[in-house]
Amino acid sequence: MYYLGVDVGSVSTNIVVMDNEMNVLDKLYLRTKGRPIKVIQEGLKRLRTKYDDKDISSVGTTGSGRAISGFLLGADVIKNEITAHAVAAVNTDKNVRTVIEIGGQDSKIILINNGIAIDFAMNTVCAAGTGSFLDRQAERLEIPIEDFGQYALRSKTPVRIAGRCAVFAESDMIHKQQLGYDVSDIICGLCHAMVRNYLNNVAKGKEIFPDILFQGGVAANVGIKKAFEKELGNELIVPKHYDVMGAVGAAMLAKRAISKKNTGTKFKGFMTAEAKIETRSFECSMCSNKCEVAALFDGENPIGCFGDKCGRWNTQEIKLNITMNKKFEKSFLHS
Amino acid sequence: MVITFPHFGSTYIPIKILFDELGIEYIVPPLNSNDTLEIGTLYSPEEMCLPFKIMMGNYIQSIEEGADTIVLVGSNGPCRFGEYCELQKNILDNLGYHLDFIVLESPQVIGKEEFKSKVYKIVRHSSRSSTDRWRILGKSITVVRLMEQVENKVLLRNGYEVNKGEHKRILYQCKNELLKTGSIDKALSVLKYYNKRIEKTPVDLKKNPVKIALLGEIYTIIEPFSNFNIVDKLMDFGASVKKGLSVTWWLTDAFLRPLKLNSINIRKASMAYMPYYIGGHGRECVGEALLANKEKFDGAIQLFPMGCMPEIVAKVILQKISKDRDFPIMTLILDEMTGEAGYNTRIEAFFDLLERRQENVLFRC
Repeated sequence: MYYLGVDVGSVSTNIVVMDNEMNVLDKLYLRTKGRPIKVIQEGLKRLRTKYDDKDISSVGTTGSGRAISGFLLGADVIKNEITAHAVAAVNTDKNVRTVIEIGGQDSKIILINNGIAIDFAMNTVCAAGTGSFLDRQAERLEIPIEDFGQYALRSKTPVRIAGRCAVFAESDMIHKQQLGYDVSDIICGLCHAMVRNYLNNVAKGKEIFPDILFQGGVAANVGIKKAFEKELGNELIVPKHYDVMGAVGAAMLAKRAISKKNTGTKFKGFMTAEAKIETRSFECSMCSNKCEVAALFDGENPIGCFGDKCGRWNTQEIKLNITMNKKFEKSFLHS
Repeated sequence: MVITFPHFGSTYIPIKILFDELGIEYIVPPLNSNDTLEIGTLYSPEEMCLPFKIMMGNYIQSIEEGADTIVLVGSNGPCRFGEYCELQKNILDNLGYHLDFIVLESPQVIGKEEFKSKVYKIVRHSSRSSTDRWRILGKSITVVRLMEQVENKVLLRNGYEVNKGEHKRILYQCKNELLKTGSIDKALSVLKYYNKRIEKTPVDLKKNPVKIALLGEIYTIIEPFSNFNIVDKLMDFGASVKKGLSVTWWLTDAFLRPLKLNSINIRKASMAYMPYYIGGHGRECVGEALLANKEKFDGAIQLFPMGCMPEIVAKVILQKISKDRDFPIMTLILDEMTGEAGYNTRIEAFFDLLERRQENVLFRC
């Protein structure tokens, strides 16, 4: 019996296969590149060689693309990433009190007490402290992102970079570069700036107690980890599967849901990898909300719709309507 | 004279009924949509708060349909809302729309005579006699009160319902039926019927639903477009919801203020943390949070538009309350963003958090 967890994030799509004891058997870390459907199909193709449809007893999805992946795979649980990360963290370390999660587009902090999430926060309008900013700076400096942290560790006298805003941080960095500072000093300064930004924005007003778990793609960066430890005065624990913790949490939630319901999984099978999935979006004109609705099609069969506030597009008859009624075809913005 | 007014949740329903009954020409602006926001932001100062922008959109959409007079309530307020009318009139004038603004402010501030003359300006084209007018005005306030009563009952009972989605459906049915009634007496009987019907809707009192209070700035609490329909979302999750502020509260508060008998419970509750008014509804927000905690709510969500000064002050105090009383409070700051995903994630995660605290288990799906 295997359990599938899928986390479709802005930067990466992670898929894990777990066994009954909740050990990770397989994990895929794929780049989303703005095409969640393609990436999930790609992942399924890779897993198909190893697993059978009937081996999979449940599927859970999470991440910003959780709705689309949920429809595509036939998920048993579609959960937000905060809950998924908290569940995975508690199951990795029973004494966890704080989870620091920094992903591609967002960063969060989750406070846990006695195994229950008691508070959380997420970055709001600023992307300065997230993975994609680091990605971009690594690219600009022509350093592979994997080595970014190592560079920071080499620094003896980090320079100060303004970390309040990604745009200003970048100009600050360029300015310091032009003055001839060492690259590793600049990178170390950037790591410290990011950590400061995180603690002042996301973790503002929160009390951070150990054990602190550091999750998400950015946890691979030893420079950031070091900077956090310096600021907080505590050791950060990077769990073994730090990069796929969201998917792990989703798989755990799905396992739990299935064992409660006794109905069997809704998983649509690995054949989904071969399906010709396309989305068509249109502006609904049924009421004044004028929602932008995206309809997911498998060939000519509609699988699901999202983006509508009222949920009317997900009822069966309307689904039929989309295919039968050519009137709607005209209002599709693009197909 | 064709009157129009900005949208404010469902208040357009009683206003429509009132004008119908008085026989005054009016235009209800098209319900708030992305178009409204787009028009509104185009003509508003960039750093202005969200309600201002949506209201500007309402005006212009109504003007396009032929409105020439705008009725607005004012607050002479110590927050930006007090200056809304002046600035909006200025902007509309600059755009070449020369409209009449009738700003209804509390009689205590502008004087009884001034208030009366403003009300007269609105109703002077009515064919009804003077006594009829006052009678109808009084009845329309009853409509508002009953409508909010129905809504509050639905929101609170929602968590206990036996048939999922029944309460929400009844609420929408009620509003639709109200829109169809042409007379105020019919509206009153519709509301009385629904008030009874809701009490007869089956509920399971043994259930222990997640109870959430909505606090913060009044416009963002009441206008669903500005808060991404947060009430409907919470109802779909199966929560019981309480809205702190309402139109009825606002009217009663304004009416009783001269006698210093307004919002006694809120003032008393907020004493320990904020014993004075700081403008806007900052004190009410703090008071409501403490009341919700006392009434054994599981948590609260504070809503306010970006840049709302009184609520920013309240937010800091809410953090302290949250810590002191072990009472989870989440703050959502609303602005022009129409991408809902981030908000959905937060709302869902907050609901999960409350549910898990209640059950004292981490796993629950």
